[in-house]
Amino acid sequence: MPLIEARDLTKRYGEHVIALDALNLEVEPGIIGLVGANGAGKSTLLKILLGLLDPTDGAASVMGLDVTRQGPEIRQFVGYLPEHDCLPPDASATEFVTHMGRMAGLPASAARERTAEVLRHVGLYEERYRPIGGYSTGMKQRVKLAQALVHDPKLLLLDEPTNGLDPAGRDEMLDLVKRTGTEFGIATVVASHLLGEIERVCTFLLAIDAGKLLRAAPIVSFTERTGTLSVEVEDRAEELAARLVADGLQAVADGRIVLVASPDERRYDAVRDAVDALDLALVRLEHQRHRLEDLFNTESAA
Amino acid sequence: MTAPEPVTPRESATGAIYDLGYRSYDGPRLGRSAAVATLFWHSLRSAFAWGKSGKAKIVPWGLSAIALAPAAVATAISALVPPGMGAATPFTYDNYMSEITVPIALFVAAQAPELVSSDQRNRVLSLYFSHALDRSDYALAKLAAMVLATFIIGFAPMVVLFLGNILVATDVPAAFGDQLEHLPQVLLAPLIYALPASALALAIAAWTPRRAYATGAIIAVFMVTAAVSGILEEATGGRLADLAPLINPFNAADGTRDMLVGDPNPQSSAANSDLDLWVFGAETLLISGVAAGAILFRYRRVGA
Repeated sequence: MPLIEARDLTKRYGEHVIALDALNLEVEPGIIGLVGANGAGKSTLLKILLGLLDPTDGAASVMGLDVTRQGPEIRQFVGYLPEHDCLPPDASATEFVTHMGRMAGLPASAARERTAEVLRHVGLYEERYRPIGGYSTGMKQRVKLAQALVHDPKLLLLDEPTNGLDPAGRDEMLDLVKRTGTEFGIATVVASHLLGEIERVCTFLLAIDAGKLLRAAPIVSFTERTGTLSVEVEDRAEELAARLVADGLQAVADGRIVLVASPDERRYDAVRDAVDALDLALVRLEHQRHRLEDLFNTESAA
Repeated sequence: MTAPEPVTPRESATGAIYDLGYRSYDGPRLGRSAAVATLFWHSLRSAFAWGKSGKAKIVPWGLSAIALAPAAVATAISALVPPGMGAATPFTYDNYMSEITVPIALFVAAQAPELVSSDQRNRVLSLYFSHALDRSDYALAKLAAMVLATFIIGFAPMVVLFLGNILVATDVPAAFGDQLEHLPQVLLAPLIYALPASALALAIAAWTPRRAYATGAIIAVFMVTAAVSGILEEATGGRLADLAPLINPFNAADGTRDMLVGDPNPQSSAANSDLDLWVFGAETLLISGVAAGAILFRYRRVGA
């Protein structure tokens, strides 16, 4: 049974705004990156999966449960971290996460125990007894993650979990997400507009654009080698390219980088000899990999 | 929960590495009914600022005290003045609830926004709705909590009156027997006032995330209806004066109480009006029903 399935899923706001446009999906458990520009329909998709929004058309299911009819059953096993602030400023992290644990159906004592564990897991210690109103953005994001984890969900839906965090906070949050997903085996969907984050954390990528599915595939297939060799020199890249072309290789200069396309074992030696002959300073020699950005560039160009 | 958890951070160049205290949970999951019950109790506690700062307690506890004070003072007086001196207190089961409509109105005006507006303002609502309950479950749990809280405000002084009447009597067992027949109205009268007042206040508060607006609007509704109803009753005559009491929802509660408990309060507008008491009963039902419907309607659409 797929973790998430959507068939012709459509969501319109009013007459003209189409958030999701006949989206078809089938996703297996893992850490899934849901990537797209702002307004691509990421949050709408997550809210429909939670049963917070009704689709205009089509159907979707989570763990085999229909989102429009079996919302409460689904939500019992799902943890949700919204994109926006969602914490009461006058409660402490301990009070709030315990309350949310009980809302998720945990008995009182279990909710208290799990709250202590989960707050430790996200890295909140003494400060958890203070009112949330005084927390930094990073601490608030941790509380949001903690409340999503307190009932040990089978599926985590994280909407922009690094929203508003500084680079260090961002790294810590991504680490937490990755550990939660890999070490504890909780299926996770991370919605983000930052491809770099998805690349670091996720095993599977869903790219959506303007409410349509652009691509769904394991991350490795996006970042595998392209077969192109990238040669970076300090200057005179054009001369190097010309020399390599004269040697019978396909080479193009692009700024200080020369891209050598020929899948030819001879090319390493050719590059070495050419660099030596021209007396160039070689900076880097590497296989070029696909980057996630290319996905959007080529698709929008097409 | 008082002892701090053991902390095992290991400092490194890039930051702290924490001991992961995460374990999976295999215990019971109590589902939707537990979620609704949790929300109900949490809301009831917040109606009285239970577990909140002392400052937050001032309004609910102050208004509870104001509602309770007349009953407490009346009971104290009848305990101190020897029986037979004719120390008739001005407060009876019949009129007590209509005497404390001001603290009741202020209580719902202050605490209904506490129950619903802040969830919208802080956007906690989207977390509630992402748990195992429906939007209507949320609305009904909040309504039930508000009604019970307001009921308690009226019920406490009625109980004081009830116990006072028994305990200050010379023959306590006989007094207990006498008072027992009033027990239904001790229970019922506070509910008759709590239901429409809470539903009306919550229906207004559910419409805005701004607490101050909600409180102002609720106070305005109770003040304006009471004033207009009073003025029309005094200043006009004939049919209009007869219908005037219907404008004030608390008059409707008076009439409903008179109808159900059968012990009319001679001072109430409802008892003095030419209208049949069932009209007031129907109005109370209508106000409560329409307000509850408005709350449910609001929560079906509110963005989360």
